[in-house]
Amino acid sequence: MAKRDIPEINAGSMADIAFLLLIFFLVTTTMDRDKAYIRPIPKKVDVETPPVDIQERDICDIVANSQNQLMVRGEIIKNPDDISDYVLEFFRTNEDLSTSEMIAASGNRNHPGFNFPFYNRFGMAEINGKIEQTTLEAEEVERTPGAEAAYIEYFWSKVSEWEKRKRALKLYKKAELPELSSQAHVRIEVQINTGYEYFAKIHSEINEAIFELRDEASKDLWGIDYARIVTQLGNEPTEDEITKKKIFQEYLDKMELLKVLYPDRIIEVTPKK
Amino acid sequence: MSKFKKGEKKGAPGVNTSSLPDIVFMLLFFFMVATTTKDADPTVEVTQPTGVLAEDMTPFKQRSEIDFLYLGVPRNKARAESFNMGYALFLDNVAQPSPGDLYNVNAVRRWKLDKFEAKPERMKKPIKEVITCVKADETAPTGIIFDIRKELQDIEALKLAYAVKDNGNY
Repeated sequence: MAKRDIPEINAGSMADIAFLLLIFFLVTTTMDRDKAYIRPIPKKVDVETPPVDIQERDICDIVANSQNQLMVRGEIIKNPDDISDYVLEFFRTNEDLSTSEMIAASGNRNHPGFNFPFYNRFGMAEINGKIEQTTLEAEEVERTPGAEAAYIEYFWSKVSEWEKRKRALKLYKKAELPELSSQAHVRIEVQINTGYEYFAKIHSEINEAIFELRDEASKDLWGIDYARIVTQLGNEPTEDEITKKKIFQEYLDKMELLKVLYPDRIIEVTPKK
Repeated sequence: MSKFKKGEKKGAPGVNTSSLPDIVFMLLFFFMVATTTKDADPTVEVTQPTGVLAEDMTPFKQRSEIDFLYLGVPRNKARAESFNMGYALFLDNVAQPSPGDLYNVNAVRRWKLDKFEAKPERMKKPIKEVITCVKADETAPTGIIFDIRKELQDIEALKLAYAVKDNGNY
């Protein structure tokens, strides 16, 4: 048989294929992002203040003991995924009650909303009146000789709180702004030996509930997802991007309203030794 | 005279490039295997619990407004016994006893303040706003986290973050 030359394969494009693969992996690789629940720590108070009397209906307590058993508002629960439903119920039960219905419910033990926090409703006239009143008070404190700076600041913070409500109501575009009772909060009580897994789960569930509430509200009001507001607020524009700054401010205002409607007040109780 | 005759002048021989892809592949595999995205390899074992809708820490990381601390069981089992409940803190490459231990109570406080002092002036944010992110093992007792919380409260570093594993986007 005649000897034949084996034709050489052109391997020049192999390098291209390899580069293509390399670039594919570079692009598709996702890094493990660090995710966490940010919770503020309350400031340390040196002066002992008498405990404030809080009504039971304003507390949504979630308890986890050292055997990792869970209890929400006095009910033992098996599945930790149910916590968010309890938190939702806590926020929603009295949400649609009018002021007169609310007064009736607060006196009636058999009312389904008796054991849940009430909402205060403010109209624009009332808010404007309060702004005027608190401003006068703050100015008076400021004029008082020897008033402490922190004391004056406290009075001005009251004014800014009412101004915040005014902005919120303007954006809300309804006659009244419902605001959850200022004492209503979610309380987390754990013991020293409670596993971190359960502690994190409780935080996760609370976030889930608040996310759902705010998401629904933002869809109702502006037709956008709450997640979009959060991502928009994640990248703050620089000083000179004027149009972007304006949009950013709009999202900030939206967030402010959602926080007035559904505040994430969480108290973590330090376990006893 | 000479037995070696110089041949006629030839053009430069073509370089065989068929092994170039092998080199590229070798590089590719090397990077694929060697890439890790952790900035420190903690000497404590941490398996994070899962959670949903947690906040992304990356922006804070880029602005260096966040300090990470790990809480878990030391990989070195013999050492584990010397720590409070068998759990140790891992602060910047050093395993430390947790705040509840009898000795070295101020480890967290000192670490946080040192880190704060070490930052250049123009990058400094008030300590109140610097986040401390606790990456704790899912079995870690929450009591230790509250001990850390108290330490941070004492130095007025008032932002604490509880890390979880979250695969969703938000």
